[in-house]
Amino acid sequence: MTAMTAKATARKQKKTWSLWTERRLPSEYEAVTYKFHSHFRRAPAPFELSEGWSINQFYLKNREGSKFALDDWEGYRDPRAYTYRRYVEDQRDREVYCDNLIDEFERLDSYRKLSRPWLDFLGRHYLPVRFPGHAMQMSAAYVAQMAPAAFVTNTFYFQMGNEMRRVQRQAYLAKALALDNGRAELADSDAARGLWTQAPQWQGLRELIEKQLIAFDWGEAFVSRNLVVRPIFDHVFNAEIAGLAKANGDDLLSLLHDDFRNYDEAYAVENTKALVSYATGKVASHAGLLRDWIGKWAPLGERAARGLSEALATAPGADSAEALFQRTMAAQAKLVADCGL
Amino acid sequence: MPKLQRRDYYDTARDMNWAFSYVNEDEVFPEELSKSFGIKGDEWWGWDEPYKLTYREYVHNQAGKDDGIYSIRSTIARSNLYDNLDVGWKSAIKAHYGAIPVPEYFASIGEARMARFGRAAAWRNMATFGTLDECRHGQAQIYFPYCLLGKDPQFDWAHKAMHTNEWGVIAARSLFDDMFTANDAVSTAIQLTFTFETGFTNLQFLGMASDALHVGDIEFGALISSIQTDEARHSQQGEPTLRIMIQNGKKAEAQKLVDQMFWRSWKLFALLTGISMDYYTPLESRTMSFKEFMQDWICRQFMDQFKDLGMDLPWYWEKHFLPELDWVHHAYHLGVWFWRPTVWWNPDAGVSAAERDWLEQKYPGWNARFGKLWDVIADNVRAGRIGKTYPATLPIVCNCCHIPICSPSVGQAPRITSHNGRKLSFCCEVCEWVWKSQPERYDTHLSVVDRFLAGQIQPPNLEGALQYMGITPEVAGNDAEGYAWNRMASLAAE
Ligand SMILES: [Fe+2]
Ligand SMILES: [Fe+2]
Repeated sequence: MTAMTAKATARKQKKTWSLWTERRLPSEYEAVTYKFHSHFRRAPAPFELSEGWSINQFYLKNREGSKFALDDWEGYRDPRAYTYRRYVEDQRDREVYCDNLIDEFERLDSYRKLSRPWLDFLGRHYLPVRFPGHAMQMSAAYVAQMAPAAFVTNTFYFQMGNEMRRVQRQAYLAKALALDNGRAELADSDAARGLWTQAPQWQGLRELIEKQLIAFDWGEAFVSRNLVVRPIFDHVFNAEIAGLAKANGDDLLSLLHDDFRNYDEAYAVENTKALVSYATGKVASHAGLLRDWIGKWAPLGERAARGLSEALATAPGADSAEALFQRTMAAQAKLVADCGL
Repeated sequence: MPKLQRRDYYDTARDMNWAFSYVNEDEVFPEELSKSFGIKGDEWWGWDEPYKLTYREYVHNQAGKDDGIYSIRSTIARSNLYDNLDVGWKSAIKAHYGAIPVPEYFASIGEARMARFGRAAAWRNMATFGTLDECRHGQAQIYFPYCLLGKDPQFDWAHKAMHTNEWGVIAARSLFDDMFTANDAVSTAIQLTFTFETGFTNLQFLGMASDALHVGDIEFGALISSIQTDEARHSQQGEPTLRIMIQNGKKAEAQKLVDQMFWRSWKLFALLTGISMDYYTPLESRTMSFKEFMQDWICRQFMDQFKDLGMDLPWYWEKHFLPELDWVHHAYHLGVWFWRPTVWWNPDAGVSAAERDWLEQKYPGWNARFGKLWDVIADNVRAGRIGKTYPATLPIVCNCCHIPICSPSVGQAPRITSHNGRKLSFCCEVCEWVWKSQPERYDTHLSVVDRFLAGQIQPPNLEGALQYMGITPEVAGNDAEGYAWNRMASLAAE
């Protein structure tokens, strides 16, 4: 046998897991994701402890007992078919891009060229965003640990990582802006915390975020996070902020948010659509269930969007609060519509 | 490169704690998912991780590590490395793959619980990396045996095991669910990251990696040592959690968490690592005995670090733990070999004449305690009475560690006791203590023997038991060397 044929033979996978039920062989992504949640619907209880043990009961109630149920979650696929390995490879490239971007702007001494009103605006209405951003990371961790199949769970692990990515770049900018402009308060955590917990424009979002954290039914957690909180939050803090930044000569901020939008937000959107379409494809009546949940969270979502729009409207050159609000709610409505709901 | 270093902005990136006002703290961090031990709110906010890392560094490092291990995998795939490995070693890696990859993925759920229910943002960030790490460990460690499926059907158990009720799987799942998949965030930090990952993972991941290199299993060695670099980082979530508990007067509670989980981990790793190191690893490749690894990495290194934090040795250290170092895994090995059709690998007796000499040297008294039991087995094999080397009855299984009770082999009787009218069997005083110290976790859980007696296993014989355990004929274990060790032993005797 020549070296070439030995290589070809070695590469060819002929056998697969005995639990795999399809005739075709799984992809590598499928082989390392399929049926990892052996505890889902396991009898007599998900975990190898007393049935009455509190965490068994918690899962029985909020995962197995959720109305967002169907027979085979193992059929769900991440549109990007991410394994851990592919995810970190892609994000390494994104982070190199962000480093290069920052490097380029820092060489032009860009932080010092920003206007005082823009810096004031960022301090009050943008930089505290790392608090709700971190909560979005928490809520992705929640949906991940409760989802019924690793095919779903992993997409939330990666969304969780992406939230952290954005928060850390925002923290970086806060510090860099503070240092270069001699304005320590811009990177002061207590100051940002004070704004986040006290300033009126943030309170709608804070109420939404805090309440979303205690939506423990896994289906409701997914819907409230990915169809209400996230589209509102991402529209304001990726799309609108990027536009305002550009208008105020802050191209760095604008380009960073473009990157978050084009890659991380797009990933969340793709998986939101795919999961909704998978679930409603299996159980048509789930469309009604998801709509009900969206309806339940909509008033809080609107209040959050209202406060954020009023805040953004104070930026130099911004549109009216009403226009910002309409665009934000339209973005959320568009996602819901794109999901066929 | 951006001009600010990690240390310049790190604090800004980790202090995202605030006091909730639209919901209660108890609702955001329910006791069942995040046991507070009475420590509330901003008492946790000073949680300070010793190992600091940002996302950009994380993806950079991790992508590099994965490049490394997957390129080794594809190089090895073109060689016949696997075919040339020692048969006993193959059993060691099959046992590892069945017991470890999917539970590593379960650990990602435990980490995600800390990423959501950890009581400080800095902690949740570290757990976010930990979650991603454990997803990596599940996927990488299952991909390698996946590629070996064409070589041997027993590798299927890397994927299948956790879906079954095989007795060793029940023991492993019972430990891992207790420690992380079904544990609250605070207890997980103490029990998984502090107790288990700083000690026992070193044993299986560094100890076995060093043996792997001697055996020539570059692939397995590279895989698990790469994994251990992640464990070394995310295991450091334990220490800051422990510090906060101690500062708030909860040392006794923390000590109890450690004592419970140290013991449970010891039992399972005596089974998994103990047998692999002292019997399955070929004699010429053994770097140290299991006991020496334990003494070096658990008794010394781990316990030093433990005492530095003001913790005490577990109460059972002198009386139960140290004595067990001399015999427990030898007894387990005998049991596993005897019950070999119930496992997904081929147990290697590992008792050729030269191996017995090594065992006697590393464990003085081994011949008198265990050698004589192997003599009986060897006689039966030589006389062609293989049937006599197989079990005819079910063993008694411990209701805590779920490992068959092997202590009678050293003259220690099982402890039969009861709780609220339910009969319970324990292998030792410490397992009984662990169980009775938190019955809410275990009180209605049935051991495989309880299930048998309750009529859940039909037909009620070995065949029914194998079926219940998911063992199929092509996977059922047999002697790894086809009893060749015995011919060698008898030749040596002549
Ligand atoms: Fe791990
Ligand atoms: Fe770990």
